[in-house]
Order: sequence, then C-alpha cells, then structure tokens
Amino acid sequence: MPTTRPPSLLTAAAALAGLLLVIGCARKGGCTGDYCGTLVIATGGEPDVLLPAVSDRAITRDVTDQLFLKLADLGPSGNTIGDEDFQPLLAERWEWDTPTTLVFHLDPRARWQDGRAVTAADVAFTYDIYTDSLVRSPFRPSLRHIAAVTTRDSLTVVFRFRQRFPEMFYAAVYHMRILPSHLLREVPRSQWRSAAFGRAPVGDGPYRFVAWRAGESLELAADSTFFLGRPHLRRLIWRFTADQQVAVTQLVAHDADAVEVLVTPDNRERARADTQLAIYPYKGAAYGYVGFNLAAPGDTTKPHPLFSDRELRRALVMSVDRGALVHTVFGDMAKVPPGPMSQLYWIWDPETRELAHDSARAARSLTRLGWVDSDGDGIRDRDGHPLAFRLLVPTTSAVRRQYARFLQEQFRTMGIDVQLDEVDFSVFNERARAGRFDALINVWNTDPTPSSGIPESWTRAGFGRSNYGRYENPAFERVLDRAVAAVSSRDEAKRTWRAALELLNQDAPAIFLFATENYAALHKRIVDVRIRPDSWLALVRTWRIPADRLTDRDRVER
Amino acid sequence: MAAWLVRRLAASIAIVWAVVTLTFLIVHLAHGSPCGQPDGRPIAPEVCADLTRRFGLDRPLGVQYVKYLGALLRGDLGESLSLHRPVADALADTLPNTFMLALTALILDFTLGLALGVYQAARERRFSDIALGNAALFVNSMPTFWLGLVLLLVFGQRLGWFPVGGLRDLVLCPRVDSLPCAADFAWHLALPALTLGLVGAANTARYQRAALLDVVRQDFVRTARAKGLPERRVLLVHALRNALLPLITLFGLSFPFLLTGAVLVETVFAWPGMGLLAVNAILQRDYPIVTAAALVASVMVVLGNLLADALYGVADPRIRARAT
Amino acid sequence: MNVGNWLAVGGAAVLALVAVVEIRRRVGTGAPGRRFFRHPTAAPAVFVLGFFVTVALAAPLVTPYQPYLQIDITRLANHPPSSQFPLGTDPFGRDVWSRLVFGARISLGIGALAMLVAVTTGVVVGGVAGYFRRWVDATLMRLVDVGLAMPRMFMLLMVVALWEHVPLAVLVLLIGLTGWFGTSRLVRAEVLSVREREFVAAARSLGAEPARVILRHVLPNAAAPIIVSAALGIGNVMLLEAGLSFLGMGVPSPAPSWGNMIADGWPKMAVAPWCSTVPGLAISLVVMALNAVADALRDALDPRKETA
Repeated sequence: MPTTRPPSLLTAAAALAGLLLVIGCARKGGCTGDYCGTLVIATGGEPDVLLPAVSDRAITRDVTDQLFLKLADLGPSGNTIGDEDFQPLLAERWEWDTPTTLVFHLDPRARWQDGRAVTAADVAFTYDIYTDSLVRSPFRPSLRHIAAVTTRDSLTVVFRFRQRFPEMFYAAVYHMRILPSHLLREVPRSQWRSAAFGRAPVGDGPYRFVAWRAGESLELAADSTFFLGRPHLRRLIWRFTADQQVAVTQLVAHDADAVEVLVTPDNRERARADTQLAIYPYKGAAYGYVGFNLAAPGDTTKPHPLFSDRELRRALVMSVDRGALVHTVFGDMAKVPPGPMSQLYWIWDPETRELAHDSARAARSLTRLGWVDSDGDGIRDRDGHPLAFRLLVPTTSAVRRQYARFLQEQFRTMGIDVQLDEVDFSVFNERARAGRFDALINVWNTDPTPSSGIPESWTRAGFGRSNYGRYENPAFERVLDRAVAAVSSRDEAKRTWRAALELLNQDAPAIFLFATENYAALHKRIVDVRIRPDSWLALVRTWRIPADRLTDRDRVER
Repeated sequence: MAAWLVRRLAASIAIVWAVVTLTFLIVHLAHGSPCGQPDGRPIAPEVCADLTRRFGLDRPLGVQYVKYLGALLRGDLGESLSLHRPVADALADTLPNTFMLALTALILDFTLGLALGVYQAARERRFSDIALGNAALFVNSMPTFWLGLVLLLVFGQRLGWFPVGGLRDLVLCPRVDSLPCAADFAWHLALPALTLGLVGAANTARYQRAALLDVVRQDFVRTARAKGLPERRVLLVHALRNALLPLITLFGLSFPFLLTGAVLVETVFAWPGMGLLAVNAILQRDYPIVTAAALVASVMVVLGNLLADALYGVADPRIRARAT
Repeated sequence: MNVGNWLAVGGAAVLALVAVVEIRRRVGTGAPGRRFFRHPTAAPAVFVLGFFVTVALAAPLVTPYQPYLQIDITRLANHPPSSQFPLGTDPFGRDVWSRLVFGARISLGIGALAMLVAVTTGVVVGGVAGYFRRWVDATLMRLVDVGLAMPRMFMLLMVVALWEHVPLAVLVLLIGLTGWFGTSRLVRAEVLSVREREFVAAARSLGAEPARVILRHVLPNAAAPIIVSAALGIGNVMLLEAGLSFLGMGVPSPAPSWGNMIADGWPKMAVAPWCSTVPGLAISLVVMALNAVADALRDALDPRKETA
C-alpha cells in the first residue's frame, strides 16, 4: 500500500549511522615519508594576475614568491643594509667590481619549469619590464637608483647604480622576481595585466602552478627537482573566502590548515581554544589608512573640490579618535602608527610629531574655512554645497568595513556627511588605481624597509601606481632622499626619517589608522614553521609535516 | 493533449524570446558598448576588438540584436570579465551544483510538507494541528538566508555536526567519484538543502492541508466512509490521490522561489552554484555573467511551468478530456 | 531605556490592543467579520501589526537613543541585553532596540511603498486588460507572462550590476515595478467576471467613460483579491529588502533596516548572536502576521461564502 508516512525513526537512524561510517572511511592516499603533506591556506582575497611585475596585492605576492625566484633573499635577521645578511637564491654569489657596480653569478642549476636554463638574459629582460613605462609596474619607483642592468655572459649579470647608498643591494634584489624572457618576450608591453601567462604561469621556483579555479581555489605542487632543495610540503592550496573572518572560521572548523592573520582578539581566543591549532605571533608588516584623493575623481588634471584644501584635510585628521578605534577593533593587536609605517619598520618612532585628536580644534578649523551648518540639517555646508564625500571600502575586509562605519559616525558628529561605497576587492583596486574615489580605506603590506615602500606610495614617482591619492610634496621628497641615502649612523638616519615624516604628517594626505601585530595560526601537525614578517610564506618550502602526523589530506597523491 | 502541449511549448519559447529581448534592451540601456564599463574599468583592446566584431557594436541597434540572438543560439554567452573564461563554461560548472541543491530541497520540501499536511488534516482543529500550523506559518515567514545563518551557527559552528559551508573537501574529493566523496558531498549539501526545504515545506504543508480538507468534505469520501473503510485508508488512498493536484501547481511555482532562495542560501553557505556566481559577478560588475544568469533563471522558470502544466494534464483526466 | 520609553512601549501595546478590540466590536458582527475573527491567528496578527506600526510611528518616544549613535565604541560594543539596552548593542555600540524601531520605519515603509507601486500598477494593468479585452488584453498579458518568467531577485540584481550607483528611492520603485504581475492577473480575472454583470452593462450603455466604469463599478467588487495580495505583497517586499540588504545592495549605512541589521551582526554572530537574531525574528513575526491577516481576509472577503 503506498504510504506517505515519514520513514520510521529507526530507519532514519540506521541510514544516518551508515552515512557517517562511510564518511569516516575516507579514501586514503598512498604518499608516505617526508615529502608529503597538503597545506590548505584560507584567505579572504584573491590574486588578480600571477605576474609579479604588475601586481601589488599581498596575496599575489604570496603565490608568485613560490613560483618565481629573486636573485637573493632577505636573511633571518631582516637586515636590509649592505649585502652580508642576504641569502643566495638565483644568484649563487656576487661581488662588487666598483662601489657602484654589482656583479651577480647565477646558479647554473636553476631551471625554468619547462626545462630551459635560467640565464642572465632573463634578468636583464626582467629589469626592462619592471622599468618599462608601458607596463606600469608599481615597483618602478623602488628601482630608480639602478642605472642599467647588463649581461656579461649567460650566467653573469651586472648592475650599475647611479650613486652609493646603504640599501643598494636590497634595491637590486628584493623587488624583482626574475621572469622567463623566452615565454614573455612576445607579450605586448601594454597588455601584461591581461596576459594568458598570468593565469597559468611557468616559473623556476620551489613550486609549480597546477590549477586556478577563479573564486574557489588555487593549487601549487612541489617541484621535486628544485635546485635548492625539494620542498617538504607536497602541495599548497589557497582557499578563497568571502573575507578574513570566514577564513578564520574555516580554520577553526579544520577545513583549512593555515591563516595569515587572526586580526581580532576574539579570533585569537577561538584559535587558542582549539587544541589542534598553534599560534605564531610575528611583527606586522601592514598599516591601514584613510587616503584622500587630492585630484578630482576621474580627472587627475583638476584638484579635488574638497581634499585639495590642506586645512580641511588637517581638520579631518583631527576629528578622528584613532586610539579608541584601534582599541575597539583590534584590542591589543594593533597600534596607531605615527605616520605611513608598519610595526616592522625600524623607523618606528612614537615621538614623531603628528596631528593629535582634537575635535574642538577641528571644529573651529572647519568653521574658519567657511563650513557651517546654515540649514540646520546637521551637516556643514558652504556656498550651497554640503561637506560630504564618499568613502571607498572593499567588502572583503571586515576590519575596513567596521572602520568605515565608525568613521562615518565620528565624521557625522563633526557635521560631515560620509556615504560608503562598499565594492568588491577587484573593483576597489581598479577604482583606486584610476583615481575614481573621494577617499578610501587602504591597507599596505610593507617591505621590510621604508626606503622602497614610502616613495612608492607617497611621492610623485608613484603617480598612476601605488600613490592612489596623488600626494606630492617636493620638500618632503628632498628630505626623504636624504634619509634613504643617509650613510652615517642609524640614529642620524632615524632622525632624518622622522623629519621627513613629520613634514608628511603636517600635510595630512591621509589618516593613519592602524599598524597591526600579526598572529598566524597553523594546524599543530605542521612543524619547522619559520615566518618572515615581510612575507609570511617566504620560507614555506622549509616547513614540513612529520611522517607520523600525516592526515588523509596529506597522503593524497596527485 | 499533444496539440495543447505543443501550443504551450510555443508560448514558452515566445516568452523566453521576449525575456532575451528585454535583457538585451536593458543591457544596452545601461551602456551601449562593453568597451565602456559602468565603473570605467578599462578593457584590454583586443578583447574590445573581438567583442565589437562579434556583436557589431559599431553597427545600428537592429544589427547588434540579430548578432546577439545568433550568438545565443550558438551557445555563446560572452566572456566573463572577472573570471577570464567563457560565461557558458562558468555556468556549466555551477549550474549542476544549484540543480543538486534545488532538487534536494524540493524533495525535502515535498516529503516533509506532504507528511505534515496529512498529519495536520487528520488532526484538524486539534491542538497539534493549530500548533504545527502556526509553526509552519512562522517558518514560512522567515527570511530564508536568516534561517540559513542560524542553522549554520548552531549546527555548523557551535555543534560541529555539519561543515561550515563549501561544496566538498577540496583536497580529498575534487570530484565526486567514489562513495566516500558522494557522502562528503551529501554532508555538505545537508544544511543548505534543509534551509531551502524547510521554508518550502511549511508552505507545502499549508496548501496540502487545505486541499486535503477540501477533498475530505466531498461526496466520494463520504461514500468511502459509509462503506466502512478504516479512516486511514480513506484519507491516504482515496482523499490523498485527489488532493495531490495542488502539489503539481506548487512544483511549478517553486522554481522562482528555489532560484531566488538559491542566491541567498548559496551566499550564506558559500555553495558554488549559479546564485553565488551571480552575486560575485554583481559585486565585480561582471554583467555578462549576471545577464546570462538572469536568462538561465527565466528559462528554468518557464520550463518549470511547462512541466507543471504537462503533469497537470497527465494527472487530471478532466483537463485531458477537455483538451482533446 | 528609561521609564518614559517603557511607558511609551506599554502605551503602544495598549493602543494596539484597544484597536483590535474596537475593530472586533465594529466589524466582527457582520458575516465577513465573523469569518475573519474565526481564525485563531487573526486577532493576534492584527495586534502584532498594530503594535509594530504604532511603535514605528512613535519611534522618538519609544527609543532612548538615536539609531545611528555609536554610544561608546570601546566599552559598549557587542554588549549583551541588559536593563539599559534591552536588546543589547551591535558591533558598533549602537542600541539594537533603537535601531529595530527606526528600522521598522524603514522596512515597513519600504514594504508599504513598494506594495503601493505594485498594487497600483497591477490594478491599472489588470483593469485595462480585463475591460478592453482583445489585443490590449493579449499584449498586456503576454507582458505579464514575461514578467512572471523572470525571478524578481535576478531582475533586481541585474539592474544593480549594470548601473553603478542605484539610489534607494529608485530601488524601491523597481521593487514595486517587479511585483505587480500576479496582482494584474487576479484583477483581470475579477474584471472579466464582473464586466458582464448587468449594472456594468447598464453603465456602459449609458455612455459612461471606461475609467469611470472601472473605478466606480468594477473595482469595488474586485477589491477582495487586491487587498489580500496587498497584504501578502508587503511581506514579500520586506523579505526581498532583507535579502538585498544582506547582499549589501539595500538600505545603505548608517540608516537601519532590518535587513542590514542582520548583515551588520553576521561577522560577530558567534560572539553576539542577538544582533542578527533579533531583526530576523522581527521580520519573521511581522511577515507571519501579514500572512495570517491575508489568510483571514481571504476567507472573510470570499464572495462564494456570501451566499453559503
């Protein structure tokens, strides 16, 4: 007799038990030994194009640093001055012919993953690309002290500098990831961002590209023939999530093995409460700020109707209680930076003079500029125009969205109307780069030293690249150059840096909101974890999972 | 019957064509050429050239329309601006996931709803009927995504009985090609399908209860009772068979609900179906995907109605008799 | 919440109760009224709706804080419910109760406005189609078929994707303009049946203009399904607005809507579940009340039952 009665409780229970049993007996792979392991990294944010020359996204750098090699890499001390503390990578040794001539000898074992040898021609080609104005690499300003890169023979490259300065070696090796000239020569210079190679790259690094499912995951596999030592972890899989908060949730649910930053105190608590996770604190290389667009949105030839006014910008900076915001959002996991710097920068000096939070003074300033609430709607206006602007924020960062709402309210109490433009990360980056915004909340993952990062983002050389707000101040740039070139003592250099940044702070091109301390969280089974603060996955090829702690995911062979 | 079905089919095709035209007009209204995007994002010159050639963007509107129709008939839905691959490929990857979700939700919906409706009808006006009826009304009134959030929080995060979103274990089961992987897929499917299914079941239960009570009052049921047949048999065999017709209507009407619900539920559970694809595409202003998704959704709605009509014709002999 | 607020809330509840009693007294004697109140959920539903509407209208009286005021972001964010904050605070230190009440204004307002647009359009289209018949009817009904074929959410999402910045007013209008299709069919059916009745034929033969005939003779008889679909329509719009706000495309910050309150609370769901749970419950309650009222109305106004 046909019946539509729901199945009895017993049958349901039996079915459920059977299902669980089946799930439990998951397929076991065959990999055993020291070179197995799958690292699943959960991250909110996705690479744009896997070509290091054209992308300034931190997540892109995380991936491409496994695919492409630099000539030499930073050592464990993080010292960027001189060349003693650097580790050979693509270059096995180097010497100085003259104080301004640096000669690299490439390691003859280095191979591209299609079999061809890495030659000096590749290095020269890479330099050409990084400095080509058509390619518009964001790293170009950092390479301005290099006069020329030439080849002496197939394994010898010569760098000539314009002048001597303490971080010459760093400038030569840190920014450029060497690219395969034989595969990229034909790509038209203006179309690098959309090149097919950027979605299926071929490199010479410890890992090979396997697959990239847009919006879902990206997979790299270890190159067992890597000349500097076979990576222990067989596979790296990045899992893209809606934002960092979801990434942490996945980590806690053990769907992922690693997360770069826990961001907030409650996430840290969740990770601490989980006995299978280990937390790794490291110096944060990130700082976040509200950047003002000094040019008119969409038309860089005209000044911005509001933000070209220095006094207005200064009043806005003084309106915000940055200390309270940092405390609310990050707890003890971030500080208010005294300028455009992360906690990693050695120039961090809490004595640096900046505009303090002073709403009364800000209010007086605004009134003096003519911004008064003449129609009683709570928003200041002048000549019929309200004091209003739009704040651009990416939806992938819960922190920035939180800040946006807090700032919106703090500005409202000052009589300033702020509307939020919350857009996807790629739209955010495109609009930022094109200058189509009033103000935005941006976060930079900085280099280990300020001499490259600060010119990229805050000088004229960064126009059309990382200097989204188009701020320039020749006086600032002069002092900046002196600071970068300062050969004398560290303290002397620090004082010069401080002077430069105080100049910048007085101009108020941005409101510097937070500089984080980072806490990475990894599954306990991963050992030998070494995290370099400027690039947390730089040393992932040395991480490993002991053979007796392999899980099913680790043993899968593919 | 066949003639009637053919007429309905023709009407459906006409509707789909009208939707296609409407979509084309709307896209054109927003901005005439894909080489100029709403947020001014520059498109690579060769992509622009290819689009111009394919759709005749420099020609009059009529020509563009014809080319657009031609491309659609060829299965060319354009190129995604954010995923850098053909839209048809992206849809082909995600549509099966939405289909699985919707199908499972539909099964849950109808089995739960039917069971509940019958149970309530059997206990008409008694406390269990009223209580369940109100509970069903409440569930039906919930925002679907909110129910999903609550289920995810309680059963996913707090209790850990189900995964916190996603389609599958990326590492162990990149394809569903074995029994454990099928089980893993089902385990990931459980919460999202339950979310959609519960809300639908509440609705189905209400309709089914009303339909059954209506039928029960009719003559043939009284006859069956008079014959001395047990109440359960009367209800389940005689009454239910006739009260199943509204289910067919509900089946047809459920497609729009499932598609809309899929958008929100897939977002909450990070389920990579067509809904999530559309949402991500919107956030990235990737309009080729969004318009394609809207088109596909419309086609599915029309198909659903067609199917419901056909089933109705099969189920109800009165309609069949009228049609021939 | 201070004493004044509690008194105001109590007053709103009393007012709603009084309204229900009054309605029952005046309307409940006639046959439709009795049928309406025979539903056990009808009276509570009217009370719930009355309460929320009263509270929304009297928002400044009932709430101690302004909805966008971040009271103390360092100490009072994600605060659990207490005597000062009966529903707790959200991640931005804003009072959830205050935001709920002002959010009621916006969510109910959007629901009512969009429903008005939808019902008006539906009535006009359905009325014209049913009255004039032939090719007017055929064209309009094909249009309705097309409209019904496109799921509402996808239509709205498509518009949001294509235009960079859609103002809220336009969005509300669009929500209304995508929701009239069902209503127009209902109205058309009613108009078709009423049209043939004698008094309409009489009016037409006397030379009355179509608009006048529709408005004065046809529509009042078709009122029942229109009212029912209006009640359901508000509920649907509220759910739609909640979904859009959750996706980030609805009411922009800092204005509260029940939908974006859920979205605001989602990242902190594990730590402070009340921020997302409370507005969700509110939506469910109000939509449930609307559905219950619609059910009862359908029964009450059913012309078939008139003659029974």
